[in-house]
Amino acid sequence: MGVVILLVMAAGVGLMLTRRLPTAFALVLLAVVIAFLAGAPLTGKNSVLDTVLQEGAPTLAATMIAIILGSWLGKLLDETGIAGTLVRKIVEFGGDRPTVVALGVLAVSALVGTVTGSAPAAMLAGIIGIPAMIAVGVPKVTAAGTVLMGIAVGIPFELPVWQFFSTALELPIPTVRAFMVKLFPFALAAALAFVLVETRRRGTEHAWSLKSVEAKPRSRRADLGDAPWYALLAPAVPLVLALGFELAIIPSLLAGVLYALATTTRPGEMNKRLLRTLYGGFEVAAPPIALFIAIGILLAAVKLPGAVDALEPLVKGVSPQNPVLFVLVFTLLVPLCLYRGPLNVFGLGAGIAGVLIATGIYPAAAVLGMATSYNQVFGVADPTSTQTVWSAQYAGVTPQQVMVRTLPYVWAVALGGLCVTAVTRL
Amino acid sequence: MTTSEPASLIGELTDPASVDDVEWAARLLAATPTHEGRDPELLRQWARRADEFGSRLAPVRSTAHVIERDDGLKRMLLARYTSRPPTVELYTDTLALAEELVDARGWRDWYPPGSVRAAALAHEAVHAHLHHGPAKGALRQALGHTVLRLGRLRVAGHVAGAEEVAAHAYARTVCGLGRSPLLLSAALRAALTRPGREN
Ligand SMILES: [Zn+2]
Repeated sequence: MGVVILLVMAAGVGLMLTRRLPTAFALVLLAVVIAFLAGAPLTGKNSVLDTVLQEGAPTLAATMIAIILGSWLGKLLDETGIAGTLVRKIVEFGGDRPTVVALGVLAVSALVGTVTGSAPAAMLAGIIGIPAMIAVGVPKVTAAGTVLMGIAVGIPFELPVWQFFSTALELPIPTVRAFMVKLFPFALAAALAFVLVETRRRGTEHAWSLKSVEAKPRSRRADLGDAPWYALLAPAVPLVLALGFELAIIPSLLAGVLYALATTTRPGEMNKRLLRTLYGGFEVAAPPIALFIAIGILLAAVKLPGAVDALEPLVKGVSPQNPVLFVLVFTLLVPLCLYRGPLNVFGLGAGIAGVLIATGIYPAAAVLGMATSYNQVFGVADPTSTQTVWSAQYAGVTPQQVMVRTLPYVWAVALGGLCVTAVTRL
Repeated sequence: MTTSEPASLIGELTDPASVDDVEWAARLLAATPTHEGRDPELLRQWARRADEFGSRLAPVRSTAHVIERDDGLKRMLLARYTSRPPTVELYTDTLALAEELVDARGWRDWYPPGSVRAAALAHEAVHAHLHHGPAKGALRQALGHTVLRLGRLRVAGHVAGAEEVAAHAYARTVCGLGRSPLLLSAALRAALTRPGREN
């Protein structure tokens, strides 16, 4: 029966790869089929309806709230001009040297990457950041890659991600935090290397573009002006509270929202702005929330006793226990997290992680190391993930070009993360 | 801005030449990121200063390798400079269309035969010049955009897009053009994005 379940998973990957079915729908379908194959009854204990669908769907509720709060703060950073001001200051102070501008945008991307992930983070840093880099001579692929590598520097400190791994892998937050702190230096080193090496290797680029002048004067966005300097600290508030003061994730994010609001908005306008950006945040958060509901359902399915019993012998046979082999095998498997592949952490990969833990093949902390290492690759180089598609297209290049340029760097991050995992957790 | 009044807007859409060179330069700056919401008067001032800087620039010699390509129209490019290795790409299809357009508009006096190609080379030579020398700092000082004041120390900030304005002004001056190449760029863009054009 284990073989049949694996075949079903492969078919599910096929559906996602060929885009016949959106990932979230495919995961729910997979979960239901796996549950039936594992011999689960329709209702009652360990059942398809009660356990997998009813209990599975809200499993990642805390993550969903964190995602909403992160998106809310993201909307606020946009509407209050905080993100735009950060990028503008960087260009004003460093614009003569494209490398300095790229490093600055990298830092802003990392900062907003800790608040909100994927496409919203890319947009926050990239909407002004990408064309600003191109305007000072940074080549397009490098510009798109810089924003993505920057966000990936923030991923280890992205609070909703902490919450996700904590709930999905059933680990306490401090354990997740401790590993993320070890993963961060690799992400940072790779991102710095990317900017320094790529700007040196590709030099600068200036185009006489016909698009540079518009036939009619631009209908300009209402004058926002610069946000005050102390407001620019807003994106760092949640991180400082959660990392420095070890505060819980949801209050940390709420504090960020309040700080951004209080430093930029007159009291009379606060209510209106809060509601508007909160509702805007829901819209931004909709795709990841749909995914997290589906992942919760899939996790419930693969943890059913029938599924665990069927999968255990198979998965055990192919999972290396020797630390060197562990690092080698899982580093080579990195490409499987791309193109919605089976190791995509925000897809079937979450289910596989669940299997590895439920069957006791690896300790949960080791699975955390694997999953977060893959997440560093997925977050930057996957040409089907929303942030990569958006950044590439906005810069005027293809997601594949961005993947080719960034993959070596993030693959090295995954190798680093897997080494740390093998040394400390196996 | 007076130019956004409907009557004058319709006039300039049919005749982009009615918009002066500094205004085209100011519009280039306005369309450059980081200038969203800036005061139009400030942009005009920067445009004027960058234009002056470019037209006063001593002739620069470019050692960049020149290559020709013919896929400029679909990418909306006329020329491109890359520093590594120093190369100027000329898009021959766009240059040909530019020459056609000059005739069609009756702008031959402003842009003599072959001058668009010369302007492209001159324009990109400025990028090469600014990329390698201390001239970038001089441009920044000329613009006088103070971003930090510490006592008597003033830090002049970078103005995105100013280099582009300077490069166009330099090309206009050394190639003896009657109008800025920006006018031609705007007309090319209008021709390429005209409704009904297959592209
Ligand atoms: Zn140029």
